[in-house]
Amino acid sequence: MKKVGILRFWGTNCDRDIWQAAEVCGFKPEWLWQDDSFEAKDYAYFVVPGGFSYGDYLRCGSLAAQTPAMKSLREASNKGFPIIGICNGFQILCEAKLLPGVLVRNESQRFIDDWAELKVENKSPFTQSVGQRIRLPIAHGEGRFFAGDDELKKLEDNGQIWMRYMDNPNGSLKDIAGVMNDQKNVCGLMPHPERALLEWMGGVDGHPFFLEAAR
Amino acid sequence: MSELEAKLKTYRLNKDEYGRIEKLLGRAPQGVEWALFSAMWSEHCSYKSSRVHLKKFYSKSKRVLQSFGENAGVIDLGQGEKVAFKMESHNHPSFIEPYQGAATGVGGILRDIFTMGARPIALADYLCFGDPGAERMSFLVDGVVRGISGYGNCVGVPTITGQTEFHSSYDKNILVNAFALGLFEEGDPIVTSGAKGIGNWVVYVGAKTGRDGVHGASMASESFEKDSASKRPTVQIGDPFFEKLLIESCIEVMAQDLVVSIQDMGAAGLTSSSFEMAAKGKVGLKMHLDQVPLRDPTMGPEEILLSESQERMLLICEPSKFKALEAVFTRWGLDAKKVGEVTKGPEVELYWHSEKIAALNPQVLTDEAPLYERPYSVWKDKNKVDQAAMIESLTFHAELQRIMTSPQGGSRDWIYHQYDQRVGGRTMRDAAESVSVVRLKSDRALAIVLGCRPQMMRMDARVGASDAIFQPALEMAAKGFEPLAVTDCLNFGNPEKPDIMSEFVASVEGISKACESLDAPVISGNVSFYNETLGQNITSTPAVGLVGLKNSLKNIPHGKFQNDGDAIYLWRVDQVTHTGQMGEDKSGKSVWSGSIDEKALAAFAKNLREVVESVPLTATRVVGKYGLAYSLARMCTEDLGFRVRMGDWVSKPSEWFLERMYEVLLVCPKAEAEKLEREMKTRGGQFWRVGIVAEGMADFDDGKPIMLTDLNLSYQSAWRVHFESLA
Repeated sequence: MKKVGILRFWGTNCDRDIWQAAEVCGFKPEWLWQDDSFEAKDYAYFVVPGGFSYGDYLRCGSLAAQTPAMKSLREASNKGFPIIGICNGFQILCEAKLLPGVLVRNESQRFIDDWAELKVENKSPFTQSVGQRIRLPIAHGEGRFFAGDDELKKLEDNGQIWMRYMDNPNGSLKDIAGVMNDQKNVCGLMPHPERALLEWMGGVDGHPFFLEAAR
Repeated sequence: MSELEAKLKTYRLNKDEYGRIEKLLGRAPQGVEWALFSAMWSEHCSYKSSRVHLKKFYSKSKRVLQSFGENAGVIDLGQGEKVAFKMESHNHPSFIEPYQGAATGVGGILRDIFTMGARPIALADYLCFGDPGAERMSFLVDGVVRGISGYGNCVGVPTITGQTEFHSSYDKNILVNAFALGLFEEGDPIVTSGAKGIGNWVVYVGAKTGRDGVHGASMASESFEKDSASKRPTVQIGDPFFEKLLIESCIEVMAQDLVVSIQDMGAAGLTSSSFEMAAKGKVGLKMHLDQVPLRDPTMGPEEILLSESQERMLLICEPSKFKALEAVFTRWGLDAKKVGEVTKGPEVELYWHSEKIAALNPQVLTDEAPLYERPYSVWKDKNKVDQAAMIESLTFHAELQRIMTSPQGGSRDWIYHQYDQRVGGRTMRDAAESVSVVRLKSDRALAIVLGCRPQMMRMDARVGASDAIFQPALEMAAKGFEPLAVTDCLNFGNPEKPDIMSEFVASVEGISKACESLDAPVISGNVSFYNETLGQNITSTPAVGLVGLKNSLKNIPHGKFQNDGDAIYLWRVDQVTHTGQMGEDKSGKSVWSGSIDEKALAAFAKNLREVVESVPLTATRVVGKYGLAYSLARMCTEDLGFRVRMGDWVSKPSEWFLERMYEVLLVCPKAEAEKLEREMKTRGGQFWRVGIVAEGMADFDDGKPIMLTDLNLSYQSAWRVHFESLA
């Protein structure tokens, strides 16, 4: 059975949810602890889950970005392994410079929990069809995407915008909900696909995210 | 004031209690003993005014594995699954400092759950605020919600339901009651708190001890005077990140069988945890206070004993297992430090460096705490009339509009959208529904509903307390769930006033009888007295949390209409009729008629559950505040409304607002209508087909249908209207 590597930091809290998603999709999940290096082989993909790594101290994701596990993840990225960062995982990938841009406090200055409609803008290892509308839960206090003008232009031109909100909940620049790196193997999004996995959760649009991960 | 009087005031003890201490010790208390008695004999820790009555609770059933006396109650769900749950108040700190008060309320209740060995999987909050226009109220609402959000979201436990009330009796004393539920999966041990094993080590784990919350327990056992702001240093400061680390590490060491027993350092901190663990285990302890990890090295023994610094635990471990235990905590970035040993006793000895500063038999502080039979009178019906009738002169449409935008009737979305409702990957139904549901690994569903309507309590405490259990029980039944057990949080005013004490006794009786009839025992809870400011007492508010189970994930009707043309039925078991929230709004009080028959209500709950199981219903709702008018309005979606008629069930427009114990709206596809009628008929009670689901309109058969866009706009704008600065 193919393995899925799930990174775990102090304060990660969607780790078990991702474990559930990987199992449901027929993979063998495996923990990758913050202090341990790992070798990137025979993993179908890696997930940096949501939560409040290191209590959001300093800046969301900034402390987790400096850990040995993230160093190994960077090597995995260089080898082209598919990597997905969700919510705080997205923030960590941005802080580690594996993804462009930053995520700042929501425009409302409040945490937002809701369902959001999204449009998939570009193909990624985790979403095959483009132009698709999907519905996923969001839950974040600092999910407003921001990037400088030049960087934004580069993202648009290179097709690195992964998905946009149909009705912007947090003030994200250009309604951006998720982005990719220029190699398109590292993907980050604020919404939680693992919370829309099975019918009883109220939606199933997140299910394909954990199935595909094509290289 | 004499020196003794001054000391009694500082330590919040009275003269009789002082006499009792002298008798127990055979001498006057000295040094740090004052602080120990102050904390352990406080109302908050000792339940001295309520213990006599709490014993009367219906508290046993075949499912109960752990009841009062431990950090939380535990029930057996079968199939290897068990749950621990409890609700606790954090009213006083939240009024003083809303963010930290509410946050640490959440933190404290979570620790009560995971000290039992259960992984917390759901949170809920019962909140009572004052009039939105009252002084500081926007600030309090904002702070409390942010506090719950900040703490719960970070520890990664979803807040999936709650109840929020507004009334001027809470203007100077808000209520913040936090509920938490934890899950034991197959093989997870239940861990208790009694110290065991002579020679075992007492180990301190978690955050370091600071000066926050010193004297918190005795503060919470006192009425507020004018200067509540000056009490700010008695409020604790929480750090959810630490709590998250503590949850993971504690569950890990318990699963590895490295822990003999464990107790949270909650109210009265190290004092209550060490003395309670010793008393429960009937052993002694030798404690080295100078070994306690400190945030501020200048702290003295008394402050260390009374500090309510958060995210700390005291545990007992076998010396040979300490290394393995320490390794787990180190991995999670937490200290584990030996601070004492278990001794033969009977005394708990406290050392400060090499000096023995106190040695007390723990039973003296716990079992020998004072017990008061506060004066009360036998309950007599209040506000009862021959036939409760709604005020005739209401303008139906104006009133409907008003209630949809009122603080009581308006949307609470602003609150729940700030809570992470789905972390953990178990949430099936969130706070948007009247019954919140989590899915269990066994593919069964677990429901949580909070209850207690303060308006009913103001009308008649005995009726209100019955309703506190039956209303949520019926809400569960309407979704196909069987209520299993109850936790409560009894918020009352000053127990030294006989009127308040009478309401307390009537409430305990009402809850207990209702629980017995449903075979849903009370397994945990707390009492919060002295919710009184400048002589004004809050509405007596026995908040409850019900937990229920359903054997499948199927047939859980929604709260909102699903299909155009579905048939709407009303099913009624008529016991008490009352003018409800509308009566109170219009005339300052509600009145009621009829009487309560607990057995018949429990039978109705069972019947309702069976009908929900056997007919594919599309939506159900127990009729609550503001009667059928409001309930029907709340079942509307953006496009689906209703057309209902008047008839035997409602004879004039004002009666759409009348409230009953109880009636339920059941909605089904037309093709199932016959079956539904048959199922209700065989079970008794009155039922009527009152209308159908219809597109675009809310039509009460008066020739003036209401556009759904208007209705929804009123409901959604309520928050902005009352809390402009927060919206």
